[in-house]
Amino acid sequence: MNKRRNINLRRLGQVFLLLSPLLAILMSLSAGSLDLSWSKLFAILFQGTGSEVEQVIIWQIRFPRALLAGLVGAALSLSGVTFQAVLRNPLADPYLLGVSGGAALGAVAALTCGIQSPIVIPLAAFIGAITALLLVYLVAQAHTCSSHTLILSGVMVGSLAAALLLFLLWRAPADATRQAIFWLAGNLSLADPNWLSWGWLWVVIGFVLLWSQSLNLDLFTQGEETAADLGLHVGRSRLSLFALAGALTACAVALAGLIGFVGLVIPHICRLLWGPGHRLLLPYSALLGSSFLIIADAIARSLYAPAEIPVGVVTAILGAPFFLYLLRRNGGGS
Amino acid sequence: MIQINHLSFSFAATEIFNDLNFNVNRGEILSIIGPNGCGKSTLLRLLRGSLKTKTGEILWEKTPIAQIPVREIARKVAVVPQSSTIPFPYKVRELVAMGRYPHRKNRLSFQDKTDLHIIEQALVMADILPLAERAVTQLSGGELQRVLLARALAQNSSVLFLDEATSHLDIDHRLELTELLVRLNREQQTTIIQISHDLDLAAAISHRILLLTEHGKIAAIGAPEEVMTTANLQRIFRVDVKVDSNPLTGTPQIVPLINNSTHRLSGLKVHLICGGGSGKTLLRRLHLAQADVTAGPLNQGDSDESVATVLNIPIAQEIPFNPFAEQTLTAANKLIEQTAVLVITTQWWGAGNLPCLEMAEKAIQQSIPVYFLPQQQEHDYTEGRAWEKIQWLQQHGAKPVRNEEHLLDELAKF
Repeated sequence: MNKRRNINLRRLGQVFLLLSPLLAILMSLSAGSLDLSWSKLFAILFQGTGSEVEQVIIWQIRFPRALLAGLVGAALSLSGVTFQAVLRNPLADPYLLGVSGGAALGAVAALTCGIQSPIVIPLAAFIGAITALLLVYLVAQAHTCSSHTLILSGVMVGSLAAALLLFLLWRAPADATRQAIFWLAGNLSLADPNWLSWGWLWVVIGFVLLWSQSLNLDLFTQGEETAADLGLHVGRSRLSLFALAGALTACAVALAGLIGFVGLVIPHICRLLWGPGHRLLLPYSALLGSSFLIIADAIARSLYAPAEIPVGVVTAILGAPFFLYLLRRNGGGS
Repeated sequence: MIQINHLSFSFAATEIFNDLNFNVNRGEILSIIGPNGCGKSTLLRLLRGSLKTKTGEILWEKTPIAQIPVREIARKVAVVPQSSTIPFPYKVRELVAMGRYPHRKNRLSFQDKTDLHIIEQALVMADILPLAERAVTQLSGGELQRVLLARALAQNSSVLFLDEATSHLDIDHRLELTELLVRLNREQQTTIIQISHDLDLAAAISHRILLLTEHGKIAAIGAPEEVMTTANLQRIFRVDVKVDSNPLTGTPQIVPLINNSTHRLSGLKVHLICGGGSGKTLLRRLHLAQADVTAGPLNQGDSDESVATVLNIPIAQEIPFNPFAEQTLTAANKLIEQTAVLVITTQWWGAGNLPCLEMAEKAIQQSIPVYFLPQQQEHDYTEGRAWEKIQWLQQHGAKPVRNEEHLLDELAKF
């Protein structure tokens, strides 16, 4: 009886999850400095009423922004799932391999040079992230490219980037520093909407490639030796998974700066709710990650409107208590 | 089936193996034993190609292991590891299903009808069907071990490697798993290579045993009774053990000589008149208390005689199922003459061992102290003659003791 109830609840949860990005987008469209009621929003969306200003705000400002938040949330969650599985470490997060440091360095370098362009800054961040990733691989490859050497060289490249970043900030004028700090705390308003379709393409390809390796991810959680004993080509597979996860993180960071928490916690929540099998965990995490970040961004924009709170602050304040509640209820089964 | 030729291997500067040569035959159970750190697990890794070596070769049916793709190897051999920590709460059934990975037909799924059937079978064989829906993170060590075994069974391979797979199991599951291995070997000709620290169990089921020295050399390889000898084990493991044969199965069995005796009888000469198993425990206890024990007369094949032989206790020996001959009694008398104390165990008395009581009478006359454990009149099958002698002994100074502990206490006073 109880079991059946549980299964039904689980089903309900899955249906809700599938619909959640839609609901999140609607919520995001209604929230912001110009507060639109739901009825007005529906009228604008489906009947084409509303002033021109309202049309522009919804279709050219809020809608692309929600899509961007969804993209970043999905990318970070997918990357988090992958790192946690391959490293068998529930505390692993997408920023482990020095990607964040590289991206931050790239973006801040551009900002301190006085560049404000929403096309150049993501590009600079992306180049920084990929450079860091390549550097990590080159260092690790000199050894056996094991998880340990990868993490260690990731941490080292990250520290190096952080040092250079501090140096840049020290030299920069106050104005640029303030902007850099805003970027470092996560910001969804800087990227040009033109990047959106490229970003989505990147994330969709990344998801499909990762999803096709979901059995391999399951095997990695058993330990590398066991995975090899079960017929997995561990070295090759680990490299491709890390590259995929690194590329997804780089994309997210380039478009939105450093948004913490999503990549660490969304995979855990999904694992607690729907189990650790990656065939479902990957799509579920992507969906929940998108919805979560869209809603967090809506809150960040509307709480102190017209000012914006850094979205990373909201993700942590929303996510941490919920996660703690789940952890308590499930007795730490994750 | 597997040939190991001139295999050498080192970790950094530490040499593990140097020029190792042996074969594994199809359909055999081979147990690898040896002291901790001698490279047993490393050898298993080399055999399945998860560690690579530069010198020497390992051939699986004449193909070098390095040339066989990992997935192919996973179809040939399944591994049950010593233990495993799994950080995420997979269900038992999901974990066992991973054993089908090397047989998968596409990237996303391996669960067609045959797969599901094999997974179910593996759950049944490892006796974990009731656990199938539980999370592996909530299992006890023994339960998890059986899940790992089931995963290996689901791989459906013709070779099984076990790396101390039974160390965490309690006795019933350990025996059950061992029986399962024997059954797989007999019914499906599964070749089994196991590392085991349970030497008795290894000896009981293995066709051959490979004994490695501390330095990774082959000390011996062959049938259990050839390899597991007292001399080999004492030399390689540097412990005081005796190898006896199991009274029920006849396979080699280790008798550890752990001295838990609280009595110190160092060098006290004690002669035991026993027989029919009445002196087994006392022989051991006296031996462990470091008394200088002798015994007899005893017939060959008497269980007391076997114990005495294993412990190198001098005895006056008679051929099986014969009354004691004159020369045997003389030999026994000689032993008694040299002893400091004579002990008579609790026995049934008949025409056959009545001469023993006569020897005790002689000892009393020679003023050798005599102790006897409790005797019962009903156990006298000599129409009262034995009981008469026992009474006589008691009247002339033989001291009754309540039990073996009491006896050892008394002896400790010498």
